Amino acid sequence: MSPRLFLQVASVEMRKRMSYRVDFWINAFVGFAAELTVAWFLWTALYAESGKSVIGGYDFDTMLVYYVFVIVFSRLVRGTEFEANVSQDIYEGGLNRYLVFPASYFGLKYAQHIGGLFPTIVQTGAFVAFWLIATGGAGGESITPTGVLMCAASLILANLLYYAMSFPLHVTAFWADNVWSLLVTLRFASNLLGGRMFPLVLFPLFLRNANEWLPFRTLFALPVEALLGRISFDAWLQGMAVGLVWLVVLAQVGRAVWRRGNLQYSGIGI
Amino acid sequence: MTIAALSRASTMIRVRDLQKTYYVHEKAPGLWGSIRSLVARKRIAKQAVQGVNLDVEEGEILGLVGPNGAGKTTLVKMLAGIIHPSGGDAQVLGHTPWERHNDFRRQIALIMGQKAQLWWDLPAADGFLLLKEIYRVPDERYAKNLAYLAEVLDVTKHLNVQVRRLSLGERMKMELIAALLHEPRVVFLDEPTIGLDLTAQRAIRDFLLAYREEHRPAMILTSHYMEDIERLCKRIVIIDGGEFIYDGPLERVAKTYATQKVITAHLRANVGTPIDLTAFERFGELLPAEENEVKLRVARDAVAEAAAALLAGLPVADLSIDEEDIGTIIERIFRERRVESS
Ligand SMILES: Nc1ncnc2c1ncn2[C@@H]1O[C@H](COP(=O)(O)OP(=O)(O)OP(=O)(O)O)[C@@H](O)[C@H]1O
Ligand SMILES: [Mg+2]
Repeated sequence: MSPRLFLQVASVEMRKRMSYRVDFWINAFVGFAAELTVAWFLWTALYAESGKSVIGGYDFDTMLVYYVFVIVFSRLVRGTEFEANVSQDIYEGGLNRYLVFPASYFGLKYAQHIGGLFPTIVQTGAFVAFWLIATGGAGGESITPTGVLMCAASLILANLLYYAMSFPLHVTAFWADNVWSLLVTLRFASNLLGGRMFPLVLFPLFLRNANEWLPFRTLFALPVEALLGRISFDAWLQGMAVGLVWLVVLAQVGRAVWRRGNLQYSGIGI
Repeated sequence: MTIAALSRASTMIRVRDLQKTYYVHEKAPGLWGSIRSLVARKRIAKQAVQGVNLDVEEGEILGLVGPNGAGKTTLVKMLAGIIHPSGGDAQVLGHTPWERHNDFRRQIALIMGQKAQLWWDLPAADGFLLLKEIYRVPDERYAKNLAYLAEVLDVTKHLNVQVRRLSLGERMKMELIAALLHEPRVVFLDEPTIGLDLTAQRAIRDFLLAYREEHRPAMILTSHYMEDIERLCKRIVIIDGGEFIYDGPLERVAKTYATQKVITAHLRANVGTPIDLTAFERFGELLPAEENEVKLRVARDAVAEAAAALLAGLPVADLSIDEEDIGTIIERIFRERRVESS
């Protein structure tokens, strides 16, 4: 697929999403504020209860900053996963038109996915600005330019990886009547094991060791830890390598499932 | 090049014994049905296309005719490469469609009256730009084609309106433009005029004829409107229940299947007194007719006799003998098949 086509598809999707009404933006902000408030109450209680000022290497401010970033990054990594998606195309017959086009379906969908990220990127900027203004950047003292670069590279890999994880699940729509439950399971597993619910250092050691070899850590924990300077370069590199291997494996799985599904696709909806 | 090679080169669609069986899981309605289907799902096979053969040449518009559920769309889906067949073979422009080579897909188009293909949320013009990239149409050719198509179909002023806000007819015209911007050499049209008013239907038919003159693509057209078929297609294929019934010139359908003709006698204007027509009923069926006109449908071999009787018994000014119209004939073919199989 040509870069030009990719950009064009992404930019069309971007314009579409940017034209959404206000409630779309309000939802995003309310969701962010709600999650952060919950984290704030929870951790205030936990720090008070335990009598410790540092838990798992995080003081209270850094813990909150961890949440600020893990919340916004998870949106960047997942995108709007329930919109313009593959299973919907399969169920509703939108796939038929794409199959006639002389372009890769996967490429077109990923371009839409990336284009659809644009509002989220704008939101991320807004949330970070909010954090800087409201708290003067408290808890983020350890952020360095290298950390920012490592974080950016992590986010790119994480976005690809999450897409590669959900794509085969969407494609099961060729057989299954409802892929929703699979997607929700993925969402839950990645929240838990990816460090979206709480920092991974809080897991028992044997779980942390096992998790090193799973793809989930690369999704959310790695970019945030890289940004906050809480991970060594070598450890980060190892995390990236594991993520990359999973990406390749999952891409092959996705391709195989797609092929099988296509063989028995009946072109519904036309 | 030899003549054989020439004629081979112009065959753009070649279908041999093509078959498609769908499998669907049957589920009893209601909650209990859902629960039971978790344990034992009954798979039923539906033979939608059973051994179709056909060839379509460059510049030819083939009419594909059949009642609902005949397998027309299924055939088109296979030829456009959307689904895999269960058996048999097809070559379109030398490619096997369901392998979906880009080289193949760049040269075909699929237009479906039932299902919008353009992006709902975008103005048509934006959708066209995307298609330009997808099909890699050079700038100049794109501008030329778009201007021409929008002009001929008279939708230039709607180009910047969101597709979802267009009327059905306007949208169909946009769909046509979308499908033809890249100058496909093979075009599949599945009920392109469905639901359109007569003017729009005619506009689309005229346009398709003009397009064919200029670009000479091979087209397969399905439609339930006989007028589409009669105006556009010299040759038709009739299928029913996935089975192949007829392939040949449109006019030969009447010769092959028409068992009856319609005799119309125009009477001299001032006949005055009501005439008794019951005497003619022994030849065939009296059809509703205009004033001063008698219409009689009779078996072919009774035409001469009936005409003679009409001439002898009535003050006839003029007399014409016509074939039944093609729609009626085809309808009867299907009806008779239903009766046979039940
Ligand atoms: N996706 C599908 N899955 C299962 N069965 C299908 C599917 N699509 C069509 N069928 C069945 O195959 C048969 C042929 O359908 P098809 O859509 O090809 O008919 P058609 O000739 O296009 O009819 P129409 O004039 O109503 O459009 C029908 O009996 C239909 O129920
Ligand atoms: Mg159909």
